Amino acid sequence: MNLAVVAEGVTRRFGRRWALRGVDLAVPRGAVVALLGANGTGKTTLLRVVSTLLRPTAGRVQVLGHALPAGEDEIRARAAFMTAGGHAYEELTGVENLRFAARMSGKTASDDDLRGALAAVDLGGAADVPVRAWSTGMRQRLELARLRLRPLELVLLDEPFVSLDEDGVGLVHEAVRGWREAGAAVVIASHRVDDATRHADEVVRLVGGRVAAGTA
Amino acid sequence: MNRLTMLGWLAIALIAVGSVLGLVVLPADALQGEVQRLLYVHVPVAWVMMLAFFVVFLMSILYLVQRRLKWDLLAVSAAELGVVAAVLTLILGTLWGRPTWGIWWAWDPRITTTALLVPIYTGYLVVRSMAEDPDRRARWAAVIGLIAFVQVPIVYLSVFWWRSLHQPPSSPQSMWSAYGLVMLLGFVAYTLAFAYLWLRRYRLAATELELELSGPEEG
Amino acid sequence: MSALARRAAAILWKDILSETRTRQGFTAMLSFAALVLFMFSFAIGVDNDLLGRLAGGLLWVAIVFTGTLSLGRTFQNEELAGGTRLLRLYPGDVRAIYLGKLAGNLVVLAALEVVLFPAAAILYGVDFAAQAGPLLLVAALGTFGFSVIGTFFSALTVHLRARELLLPLLLFPALVPVVLASVGATEAFLAGDPLGRATGWLRLLASYDVILFVVCVWIFPVVLEE
Repeated sequence: MNLAVVAEGVTRRFGRRWALRGVDLAVPRGAVVALLGANGTGKTTLLRVVSTLLRPTAGRVQVLGHALPAGEDEIRARAAFMTAGGHAYEELTGVENLRFAARMSGKTASDDDLRGALAAVDLGGAADVPVRAWSTGMRQRLELARLRLRPLELVLLDEPFVSLDEDGVGLVHEAVRGWREAGAAVVIASHRVDDATRHADEVVRLVGGRVAAGTA
Repeated sequence: MNRLTMLGWLAIALIAVGSVLGLVVLPADALQGEVQRLLYVHVPVAWVMMLAFFVVFLMSILYLVQRRLKWDLLAVSAAELGVVAAVLTLILGTLWGRPTWGIWWAWDPRITTTALLVPIYTGYLVVRSMAEDPDRRARWAAVIGLIAFVQVPIVYLSVFWWRSLHQPPSSPQSMWSAYGLVMLLGFVAYTLAFAYLWLRRYRLAATELELELSGPEEG
Repeated sequence: MSALARRAAAILWKDILSETRTRQGFTAMLSFAALVLFMFSFAIGVDNDLLGRLAGGLLWVAIVFTGTLSLGRTFQNEELAGGTRLLRLYPGDVRAIYLGKLAGNLVVLAALEVVLFPAAAILYGVDFAAQAGPLLLVAALGTFGFSVIGTFFSALTVHLRARELLLPLLLFPALVPVVLASVGATEAFLAGDPLGRATGWLRLLASYDVILFVVCVWIFPVVLEE
């Protein structure tokens, strides 16, 4: 089986606190995995490990064919991690934020491309407004537009539905479907069960840093 | 008695012998008088300070390469001793400087650089104390421990150019015979004392870390 | 342009654009610098000869104090925008982040000095213009060294509590060679360099700049790890 992510016995402790205790996870390409669990159960930590940001204390992780920590660069080029909270540079406009993201990813995107990407998430009208004046939901949409700037083989979404309205949630679902059809693996970490599992091929539930029995 | 304790007693014995020789047995220096006896402590302690910071540097590199917390604990143990030795060196140096040069603080390159080492390595210790995650703490500390050691020679050189007053480093030539031997004894004694305290502190640090990690879980 | 330079340039462009939108930081910094210059005069008195002789030192201390405030903000806009971890998620060498931020600090400090040098010339009654060429070189080397170390420690302290205190604690001892050499060279040039000491100071400064730059660039990825 062709797996985008294989994690075995991943453990991460922050001093006295154990965020992950021996988590096993397998995400096939072209599949959507819903990562469920209450706040503080290790969902974000697991995504940070898989996205190459955080080294585990113990355990093996293989992402897109690379055994971490090797191949981090290659993974970063082909995978994306949408962190929770809808972050953006306050003083820059929507277009400028996207242009920065494109340049940092090594892409040259024309002004039309960038405006198109914004229009696709219903932000066409706010393209030239500094983000400082945007709502949280709009920022979340900007994150979505950022992910769609480049082709991806692995998409990690951390709480993608928070503070989005009906339409916004619809946009996330649409994007997830698109990625899956293109053969990418998608991991959705969320405590919103209905939305997270709508397209899920598999459901993994974390409890206290472990995979709950019967969900993997 | 285990080997470490024996090392400690050996260091104490040698320091005692050296002190008796330096303070009582040897005659006062012809030029500097009684105050010269301070150098039997000042110079070896300054040596211990440099040794300690060099150890911090080595342990920092080892940590960055291997990422084992053991190296971090060895580094911080040496850093604490280094700061103590630096402060002691400064106090002894100014005590010696007042009668010899006529002023407490002469802006001499070595004293000034030593004085700068105190905030540098205090910064090292403070940054270390601020991180909760042991890995993070070790990483930040190792970076500072490494870069501090790169700075120090150039800090010294720049202060040297700026102002120079200090008598040349004590060498066997100017300190031959009885003086030289007592000084050599001091170097050996204080180096052993450093080794003893360093390893003791390391054991304590290892126990502390164990407790920290095994204590009641948070979050 | 290599990928590294392109990404560093993207960060520089983004930061300058943000800064020009608000300008609050820069305006406050300039006012602070002016106040520092005034404070020195208040402390020393209106003896123009004395102020003139001390001008090099006072100027560099003003640059270091003001610059430290500005350097401390280097990575704070990233924290507001989700942290440097988001920058690390982009493919490519993370040293681009250091280089981009370093370039940004150079621009800000250069802008500060463009105002501070003439202000000091007027307030302390010294003629920087007569030695403009050599002084420009001193300013360039001094500012580069300051930025190299400041950007690095700014990244290191950004996640710490009490970083406003810790940044100067780490930074100032590291700046001793930069300050001594910059002040030494500035004063030597202002006096017409009778002893030929300026070249030595410049060499020391340049060596320190290069060594610290290499070490900081090399070790920077470790600083950004989580």
